[in-house]
Amino acid sequence: MRRLLLFVMMLLTLAVPALVAQNLTLPMKNGSIKFAVIGDTGTGDKHQLAVAKQLTATRAKFPFEFVIMVGDNLYGGNSPKDYDQKFAIPYKPLLDNDIKFYAALGNHDDPSERFYKPFNMNGERYHTFKPADGVRFFALDSTYMDEKQVKWFEEQLMASGSEWKIAFFHHPPYSSGETHGSDETLRTQLEPLFVKYGVNVVLTGHEHFYERIKPQKGIAYFITGSSAKLREGNISTTQLTAKGFDAGYTFMLAEIAGDDMYYQALTDEGKTVDSGTVHRVGKVEPTPNRSAQPVVATSGKDAAKPTTPRANPK
Amino acid sequence: MNVIRLLGVCTLVCAISAVPAAAQTKAAPKPPKPQISQTTREKAAQDNANPDALVLADFQKRIDAYMAIHKNAAKNAPPLKETKNPAEIKVAQETLGAKIRVARATAKAGDIMTPEIRNKFRRLMYPVVQPTARDKAAPTSPVPDIPVTGTPVQGTSGRAVKADVKEGLKENAEEKKEEGGKPVVLKVNAIYPPDTPLPTTPPQVLMNLPKLPEQLEYRIVGKTLIIRDVEANIIVDFVPNVIQ
Repeated sequence: MRRLLLFVMMLLTLAVPALVAQNLTLPMKNGSIKFAVIGDTGTGDKHQLAVAKQLTATRAKFPFEFVIMVGDNLYGGNSPKDYDQKFAIPYKPLLDNDIKFYAALGNHDDPSERFYKPFNMNGERYHTFKPADGVRFFALDSTYMDEKQVKWFEEQLMASGSEWKIAFFHHPPYSSGETHGSDETLRTQLEPLFVKYGVNVVLTGHEHFYERIKPQKGIAYFITGSSAKLREGNISTTQLTAKGFDAGYTFMLAEIAGDDMYYQALTDEGKTVDSGTVHRVGKVEPTPNRSAQPVVATSGKDAAKPTTPRANPK
Repeated sequence: MNVIRLLGVCTLVCAISAVPAAAQTKAAPKPPKPQISQTTREKAAQDNANPDALVLADFQKRIDAYMAIHKNAAKNAPPLKETKNPAEIKVAQETLGAKIRVARATAKAGDIMTPEIRNKFRRLMYPVVQPTARDKAAPTSPVPDIPVTGTPVQGTSGRAVKADVKEGLKENAEEKKEEGGKPVVLKVNAIYPPDTPLPTTPPQVLMNLPKLPEQLEYRIVGKTLIIRDVEANIIVDFVPNVIQ
């Protein structure tokens, strides 16, 4: 009897993560680059913990190698206790498995966070890394986009060759959020560089919801700012939205294989809110005279076909 | 009698038409007038130099002097370097701040941002946060349509920059309510409250202001532009009323 009980318990233990992490649509191809995206995480509250738990459970099915943090990593202070409660403890199972986190700074983050080794910022407010051949990430500090940073970004883009170029930072250049909306001034600064050097995907947060924007000038934009904070019903009706979800806490998974980036956004309960593919048409060489970049198309369950982009009326 | 009636009607018509007109054309604040001290004017005349250039050179000199203090303090504080231990970051930041405060114990507002430098900064900020020709052409649509292809949108609406600043302030106020962050004390050597969000400084504002060393940054708090020591997390000096 005791043996049977033990056996049942063992089965349950094994089954729980699988039950929690539901219906992954990602192809999980051999040799692909797998990562997760979280944003506006640093509360240390039950919602952060719930998303962290789901993220951990999901990894049993989708073995992502690193996590992108799009800012607001620590709300309400940066004492050692804050680092523990709002980062080290919630993500301990992942950190213990050597999963790397790459952070960008949000408006709630003190720039001194760049010295915290587990954020992998190399002591810099903006940084770049290449997880594998053919893919490069650029973390920017959108709270302080000065000339020096813009110059650095352009130099890095120019040197990056025909790789997937993924930029991540806090403030969304396009957003249907009622509270903030599109950050037009930032967009004016960055979009010409995205277009000129062929940035494929932009990951942001700040808005406390999930939104995938219809491709803008051939670039795919995602907002994942509800990994611990939520503004329910905050997505207003605009022409920008390909898919929006503001009714629960979310995170995103992504997988790059060849010219495709597969994505799936999930809730803290493991429900899928969005999924699809960003397809990169052709390789992009850095050609400084390029004025437009029609190289990315997205498709997804709920995706609208790439259409004429319109600005957020906000 | 008829004349009086006619006069009455005219007055009424004028009053009715004036109300919406007045509401629509809220007078934009006037650009700040240059305030150059007598000493600077005399020096400019003597050297055949631009007085504004002298004001900016003076600002640079004062920033250099501050940086000398910062660097000296940093020599005697634990280094800010990458670490797994957040306590080390906190100690390094706080020790540096404490040493700078001791070295600048008598520093007061206006030591770096002197009246003429403040005036220069207000003049530098003015064009960035005022409605531009584009704003005036399309007063109800601050965000232009984005073309599908073609050249990127050049320049940013001054209204959008101002809106950004205002949004930042609103957001800070809301989040302070949510998070319970402390108000920023506008005082030289004051610590920027670690639990209060840092308002985003619009890129267009940064483009218009003199460059700072990487240890310092500009932030807009309310209507005030502050210079913050990033590594020590203290307010170095500030310019009130840069946003009108």
